[in-house]
Amino acid sequence: MKKTVLWFQTGACGGDTMAILCADKPSFQSVIDNYNLDLLWHPSLSTIKMGRLDQVLEGILNDEIPLDILCVEGSIVTAPSGTGFFDTYKGQSKLHIVEKLVEKANYVVAMGTCAAFGGVHAAYPNPSDCIGLQFEKTEPNGLLEEEWRSRKGLPVINVAGCPAHPNTMTRLLVMLAQDIDLSLDYLNRPEEFFNTVVHQGCTRNEYHEYDIEDKELGGLGCMFFNLGCQGPITPAICNKDLWNGRSSKTRAGVPCFGCTSPSFPKDQDLFSTEKIGDIPLNLPLGVERHKYMAYKSLAREAAPQRVKKYKMKP
Amino acid sequence: MGKENKFMTSQTVRIDLNRVEGDLEFELDIENNVITDARCIGTLYRGFEQILLNRAPRDAMVITPRVCGICGTAHLYSAVLALEHAWQLPVPPNATRIRNLCLMAEGVQNDLRQTFLFFTVDFCDDLYQKHELYDEVVSAFAPFEGAFHRETLEFSKKMLEIVAIFGGQWPHSSYMLPGGVVTEPTSQRVIDCLDIVNTVSQWYEQRIIGDTLDNFLALDSAEAFFTWVEKEKPAHSGLGILTRFARSISLHQRGVGTPHMLSFGAYCDPETWVAGAQSDQHWVKSGFYNGETGIISALNQNEITEHVRYSWFQDYEGGKHPWQGETVPDYQPQTDRYTWAKAPRYADKVVQTGPLAELLIDGDALMNDLLKQEGGNAWLRQCARIRRVAYTFAHIRRSLEELLHNLNEPHIIAPSPSVYTQDGEGYGLVTAARGALGHWVRIRDGVIDKYQIITPTAWNASPKDSQGVRGHWEQSLIGLAVDDPENPVEIGHVIRSHDPCLVCTVHFVGTGKKITYRP
Repeated sequence: MKKTVLWFQTGACGGDTMAILCADKPSFQSVIDNYNLDLLWHPSLSTIKMGRLDQVLEGILNDEIPLDILCVEGSIVTAPSGTGFFDTYKGQSKLHIVEKLVEKANYVVAMGTCAAFGGVHAAYPNPSDCIGLQFEKTEPNGLLEEEWRSRKGLPVINVAGCPAHPNTMTRLLVMLAQDIDLSLDYLNRPEEFFNTVVHQGCTRNEYHEYDIEDKELGGLGCMFFNLGCQGPITPAICNKDLWNGRSSKTRAGVPCFGCTSPSFPKDQDLFSTEKIGDIPLNLPLGVERHKYMAYKSLAREAAPQRVKKYKMKP
Repeated sequence: MGKENKFMTSQTVRIDLNRVEGDLEFELDIENNVITDARCIGTLYRGFEQILLNRAPRDAMVITPRVCGICGTAHLYSAVLALEHAWQLPVPPNATRIRNLCLMAEGVQNDLRQTFLFFTVDFCDDLYQKHELYDEVVSAFAPFEGAFHRETLEFSKKMLEIVAIFGGQWPHSSYMLPGGVVTEPTSQRVIDCLDIVNTVSQWYEQRIIGDTLDNFLALDSAEAFFTWVEKEKPAHSGLGILTRFARSISLHQRGVGTPHMLSFGAYCDPETWVAGAQSDQHWVKSGFYNGETGIISALNQNEITEHVRYSWFQDYEGGKHPWQGETVPDYQPQTDRYTWAKAPRYADKVVQTGPLAELLIDGDALMNDLLKQEGGNAWLRQCARIRRVAYTFAHIRRSLEELLHNLNEPHIIAPSPSVYTQDGEGYGLVTAARGALGHWVRIRDGVIDKYQIITPTAWNASPKDSQGVRGHWEQSLIGLAVDDPENPVEIGHVIRSHDPCLVCTVHFVGTGKKITYRP
C-alpha cells in the first residue's frame, strides 16, 4: 500500500521546491519511484487537472484519502489580524487549510526555514505577520502549540534551510517512507542532518586555522572574523554534501548566512561580523572566549607562508 | 458530466492553476462556453519592500533572491546593478562575464522546465484521449513517465551546476556584490562549465530540436521553419512533437493578448557596460515594440508606471513611476478590486514581456516572420522559449571563451567601505526567464529608504489599470472557447505558454504604516 505525500505551499518563494528538484542523492524522482510513494499533489509537478487540488483536500479532510506525509513549504501568513487572508486558496486562508490538514497527517514536515520558523518573510517588521508551523523564530509555539503532535506522535519535523538542502529533504522523505526512527534536536530538526556545522569541510579551512581573515569580499581567505560568515555556528551539511554536487557558498566566497537557524535572517548587516573588540561576538559553538583568543594568536604565528600569501586556492 | 443547459448561460468560474510558479487564480465570466471577461488574481502578499527598509543596502543581495526560488539569480543581478548605479561603481569585465554566465544557466534551466515540466504535461489530459497524436504525446510528455519529462529534470538540474561552480549553490546564493563577483575564474572552473554546456547542448540538439544548433538558428522564415519541422529528426524532437500537437489543437490561433512588447535586453556587454549608460549596452538588444505600428524604439525606463485602481492597495490617480509610487496594502475583497498585483504600464500601454518579446526586439528573423504570418499566440511563445535556449548556449560558450582568455583579470573592484553607506538612487534592469525584471532602490542615511520591484509576471499578469484596460493575460483569454468549465484545459495551455510566476509578483508594497482591512 502506497504512502501518500502532499506538498502544500503557503507563503513561499518556491525555493525548497526548486531545491528538491536539484536533489541527487537520492533524487526526488528516485524517491517517488523506489519508496512506494503516491505524490497526491505538488504545485509544480502534479499531473492532476487544474482545479482538482480541492478534491484532494476534501478527500483528505473527509478521511477518504489517508495522508501519510504532509510537507509544508512557506511561512504561515497570519495577516491581517490573524485571519490569514493575505495568503488564500480559493477564498480560504491557507492558514486554516493547514490547521485542518495537520490533524490528518501521520508526519508533518516543515520544508525550509520559512515553514519551520517563519524565515525571511518574518524578518522585521514582518509585514504579513508570518510565523512557522510550530515556532515563531526562536520561540516555541507557532501555528501549532509546542505540545502538538502528529498522528505518529512527532512534532513538526523542521527541515530547516533557506532553501533546505536538497538531499536532506529527499533523505528525510525516505526515512519517513520507511518509518525509520527519527532523533530531533532542540529545534525539532532531524539530528542526522544537523549534527555537523557548515564550517566542517569548507575549503578555506587553512585560512581559518591560521587566522588569515579577509577584510573584503572576493578574496580567498576566511570570512568568519570580518565578513559575516556564520559557518562555525550553523548546523547544516553544506560542506559535507555539496550543493548541486559541486560546491557551497563558503567555498565560492559567499559567507554562510546561518539559514538553518530560527533567527535567519539576522537583523543586522549580513556581510559584517558583530564583534566584541577584535573578536567575533558569536564564537564557534561551545568555544570559550579566552581560550579562543589564545589559540588564535598562536595560530597566526604558526601560519606558513603559502597560506599567508594566499597561494592556496579554495 | 456532460454539457447541461446551465453551461449555455453565463456563469463565473474561479479556477486555480498549478504547474506555474506560485499562486495564480483566475476568475472568468463564461457565456455559452466562451470567456467574456477574465480577472487575474495574485493571492499572496509578503511585503518584501518593508522587510528591506532600513537595512544595510547590501542585504538586498541576500533578501531579494528570496522573492523567487526559480529566478533568484535574476533578482540578485538586478539588485546588484541597482546598487552599482546608485553608487556609480565600475565593474570589471570578468565579473560581468560570470554574472551573465550564471543568469544564462538559470535561464536555460527555466526555459526547459517551463516547457517540459509545466506546459506539455497538459497535452496528456484525458480530453485528448481520442486525438491521433495522443499516444506519442503521452510517451513523450507524461509526468515522471514521459521521456522528455524525465530527461528535462535531469539535464536542467545539470545546467544549474554552472551556478554552483561560480556561486556556491543554486537556488539562493549571493555571489554578485557591488563591484563584481566573489569567485575568481580559474581554468578548472571554466573547464567544468564547458563540460556542462557540452553535455546539455548535445542533449538539446539530439532530443529537443533534432538538429544542430547552427541549422536551427539559421532558420529565418516561417516557410523555412515549417519545412524543417517536417524532416524526420526535428519532427520527433521535443519541439517537433510539441509543434505538431499544439498546432493541431489550434494553439497557434489562441492567446494573442496585447500586441505591444517590452524587453530590457539581456547580458550586459562585459567590455562596455557601465551603470546608467545612455545607449543600450547588451548583447541582446533592449527596446519597446509597438504592436500597432511595428516600430521598435529604444527603451526608456522613465516610461514605466504602475497603477493600483483594481488592486488591493490604497488608491492614487493614474500610474506612478516606481520611485514615486506609494503603496499601502488595502485588502478589499468585496469590491471591484481583485488582486495583490499592481498594473505596470509602459508609455501607458499594456505590454507583454518574455522570450517572444526578447527575440523579436533583438531582431530574430524567424520570430519576426512567424509573428507577421500568424500574429502572437500561445504556440509561438512556446517556440520562442525553446529557440532562446539555442541562442543562450552560444552566449554561454562565448562567455566561457572570454573568461578562458582573461583568467588573470580581476573579478571584483572592491569599493572602499565608506561607499556602502552612501546616499543614492539607482535601478537595475535585467531580462529574467519570464521577461523584464526591474529593481529600483533609494538609499538615505546609509540605509535602504525605498525599494520597488516590477517582475515580468507583474507586467504579464497585470490587472486592469485606471483606464480599465485589461492586462496581457486577461486579454489573451477573452474569446477563448472552453469545452468544459469544470476542466478548462484550454486555459491551461494559454496561460502556461506565458510561463507565469506569481511568487515574484505580489511581494512589494510601499512605505505606508497603516493597513486597512475590510472583511
